[in-house]
Amino acid sequence: MMLCRVDGNVTATVKHASATGWRFVICQPITADGAELGSPTIAIDPLGAGLHSRVMVTTDGKYATELLKCRKTPVRNSIIGIIDS
Amino acid sequence: MKLGKVIGKVTLSRQVDSFTGGRWLVVQPMNREALAGKGQPTEPSLVCYDNLGAGAGNIIGYVEGREAAQPFEQDTPIDAFNALIVDTINYMPPKK
Repeated sequence: MMLCRVDGNVTATVKHASATGWRFVICQPITADGAELGSPTIAIDPLGAGLHSRVMVTTDGKYATELLKCRKTPVRNSIIGIIDS
Repeated sequence: MKLGKVIGKVTLSRQVDSFTGGRWLVVQPMNREALAGKGQPTEPSLVCYDNLGAGAGNIIGYVEGREAAQPFEQDTPIDAFNALIVDTINYMPPKK
């Protein structure tokens, strides 16, 4: 699991059919003190995380297949929690 | 999923059967600076399977690893799969 900060979102009309209706957010991996680590990744957001909120992102592809109810989805990253402190 | 810019394409004369119907894009991964519209690429470009129809100049969301092979019917040797073609990016990192 990755600790990330939400730095924005992307919209896409043309995408894999399994991802229709989901929100995609730009997640910047960070350290516990907020320093940025590496390039941003895209995750689906079932929880509705706000801009600059800290979130927990899982790279569990199996969870994404259950969430999207599609065995053949290419989606891997998904937000599983919004961090309070 | 990561964001990358399509900078070219690859054509093959013969390929594994399960790739039929798709094409291959040369993609430059986008780092923080690229998303903010400045800076030079730092990562090597990669070749990505595409069945959505992205063209040069498009920004796409590609998946790497096990999930790249998941959309195919049979087991497929593939490293990167184009999952979405980006319309708009709202990238607003906090100001330092």
